[in-house]
This record gives sequence, structure tokens and C-alpha cells, in this order.
Amino acid sequence: MLLKRVVALEGEEVEFRKGVLFVNSEEIFEPYLRSPCNWNLPSRQVEKGCVYVVGDNRVMPMEQHVFGQTDIQRILGTPLW
Amino acid sequence: MVKLKTVVILGSAVVVGILAFLYFSPSEEKKVRKQFDLLSQYMAKEPGEDPFSMANRIQNLSRLFAENCEFKIEGDPLYSLSGKYSRQEVAGYALRGRSYFSNLTLKFYDLKVQFPERGLSQVRLTARLTGRSNAGEQAEEIRELQCFLTKIEKKWLFSQFEVVEVLKR
Repeated sequence: MLLKRVVALEGEEVEFRKGVLFVNSEEIFEPYLRSPCNWNLPSRQVEKGCVYVVGDNRVMPMEQHVFGQTDIQRILGTPLW
Repeated sequence: MVKLKTVVILGSAVVVGILAFLYFSPSEEKKVRKQFDLLSQYMAKEPGEDPFSMANRIQNLSRLFAENCEFKIEGDPLYSLSGKYSRQEVAGYALRGRSYFSNLTLKFYDLKVQFPERGLSQVRLTARLTGRSNAGEQAEEIRELQCFLTKIEKKWLFSQFEVVEVLKR
């Protein structure tokens, strides 16, 4: 089981530019991040029935981080706090 | 009057019987889930398994599969299988796979059972294989799978296994 943050919903465009998350070309303020990262990921649209999830710990290179689009039916629950 | 009473009693008994049958007979979803329980049971291996028990398990396991079952499982060569295989071939691969391990468990979690069309079941699940090889190495593989089962002669038989990406960048 993975614990990830949902950052974009179906139909939205998601990308990273120098570690900054953009959804529909708008920069997303992410105060929960403890350290900056330098990820670059070209824009992609979240497919129907899916959400885009990313973890809060992004200190590692992008290739080593488990994140991306997943079927909404795979979500089992949410944290209580 | 007596005749009417008998008819009412018999009618009630028939209705109760039908309701009891419907209530206690397993649903199609339960039957599909049962196939995964059986697959897990037959794949499991304890140290010192005797040949008779092994042969019995493999024979029972092969009966869970359709005559042509398609596998799309790629990655580690030890766990990879791609193409269409007959029951006998599936049994052979299972036998060979089990022989690498002194003990083995295959468990299925978070089964989501759907019926896209009559006689066809689609199941999304997490499969976890754990065991210890004959050389003493600990093994653990976790995969997300999409499986299809086809209803053939009132039995749900495995007809396709495919690894699915949980997260796609």
C-alpha cells in the first residue's frame, strides 16, 4: 500500500518545472514540502477515471520516486490527519 | 377445507425452500473469489512436501484454468510468463516454479470483481508471492494484476492474467 497526495484530477494537465508542480499551467503552492527538488516532467493530461498522485518527500531523484497516474478505484482511503 | 390447508402449507414450504436456496447458494462473485482462494491454496508449499501431495495440488491447480490461458507477466525472469498456455503447460510451469522454493505462499488482496459481460469476470487485485528458495534466499514479489475468468460448464476458470501499472507517469 502506498501513501500519496492527490495533486491532479481527471482531465487536468500536470507537470513539474524545476521542482515546481503545475496543474493546468498554474503553479501549485505546496507548503507541506520539507525540501526542494529539481524534477522536470513534461505536461501530461490525467486520463478519465484516474487521478495523479505524488509523495511529499521529493528529496530523491525523480526516477527513484514512485508517483504518477492511477485508477481512482485503486484508492482505498484517506489519512485521518 | 383440509385440501386448501394442505395446498397453503405445501405452497409455503416451496416458497421457503426457494428463498433458502437463493439465500444460501453462493453468488457469482463469491464463486469467482473462491477460485482465487483455491489458486492460493494449491500454489502454497511447505518444507518437506511429499510427492503425492505435490502431484495432487498441481492437478487441482490445472483444473482452475481454461484450456487456453493468456499470461502477460513480464519483469524478473523467474516470475515472467507471456503468451497462451494450455492447462498442461500451466501445470508444468507451476510445478517448475514451485520447485525453486522450499516454502511458498501466494496471497491475493483487494479483489475488485466485475462482470463486463455474461460469462466473463474481470478482477483487479494485488498479488503477493513470498517464499524461501532452496538456496535459502528470501523472495518477495508484489504485483497488481488484472485477471479474466470465463464461465465454462458452470465453473469460473482463469483465462487471462496481466500485470497492470499502478502508477503511470
